[in-house]
Amino acid sequence: MPQKKLPYDVTLTLGYHFTRLVMAGVFIYASLDKIIHPDLFAEAVYNYQVLPGYLVNLTALILPWLELILGFCLLINRWMAGASALTAALMTIFVGLTLFNLARGLDISCGCFSTATDENPITLLTLARDVLFLILSLGLIILLFFKNTRSVGKIHKPSP
Amino acid sequence: MTVFLRTGNHFTNTIRQAVFIMLISVAIGTAVNLIRPDGIPFVETWSMADKLATENGDTMAIPLSEAAALFEKDAAVFLDARTPAEYDQGHIQGAVNLPWHEVDNYFETVIMTLDPEAMVITYCDGEACSLSHDLALFLKDLGFARVKVLVNGWTLWKEHNLPTTKPSS
Repeated sequence: MPQKKLPYDVTLTLGYHFTRLVMAGVFIYASLDKIIHPDLFAEAVYNYQVLPGYLVNLTALILPWLELILGFCLLINRWMAGASALTAALMTIFVGLTLFNLARGLDISCGCFSTATDENPITLLTLARDVLFLILSLGLIILLFFKNTRSVGKIHKPSP
Repeated sequence: MTVFLRTGNHFTNTIRQAVFIMLISVAIGTAVNLIRPDGIPFVETWSMADKLATENGDTMAIPLSEAAALFEKDAAVFLDARTPAEYDQGHIQGAVNLPWHEVDNYFETVIMTLDPEAMVITYCDGEACSLSHDLALFLKDLGFARVKVLVNGWTLWKEHNLPTTKPSS
């Protein structure tokens, strides 16, 4: 039985695609400079002073690719359950790290979108930006959960 | 019932996809680093002392005792690489503020006034702070002959009760 789409559904769908594309852009853009300059990104990771030395390079090598592949999944709307969960997990970690280093007053480069060490120190603005992205990625999880569970549930309903 | 089944599926999918995405990232990240000519070692020891080592095996780090001796003889210029706000809250006596994050703005007022042959000692705060190190390398590139880094300078200086300038409030 074909169901007429409610305005509510249209809004949810639009919100879902908008959030998905914004986060795709953020993650793909963020990954590129780090992939090009692994040595500089390793330094940025080291400067955060949270990982033991032997994990610094591994993180610097893999994290940018994770960001790129996540961004790509979000862009092409595939593996969205996994991608949106990982996106939110990463944003949670980034927010946590920014908070942690702001709290202990460590004056370091963000290394978020650029690996240049002489610009973009972490500030409250960095934190605000990361929190915004975290909210978007949590929103994406909720929208996706609705999309995956609710709409299919309807189709299986026996018609009266 | 259907919704519960779908919910279960949704979570299984989430885990499966997330693991899959992570595995791909590890595989590509590793493979690309092996192939590219400018790859980095997978495991490297990271410490401030290593970072301060120069190509000819020397180190740019200066021990506190030497820095203090130079300070007493007034034989070195101390450069505070931290932000102006941190500098204002207290700094090594006579130190000049040269914030690494805004180094371009201080080019004429600070860097141009320094003698390229003078002994220059940069410092910031914390064992891991890289501002002084970045600044030191920058000054070296500019042609300063004698640049040293006092690692964890501000904390060490205070701990040893060496002369500081505190805010006048």
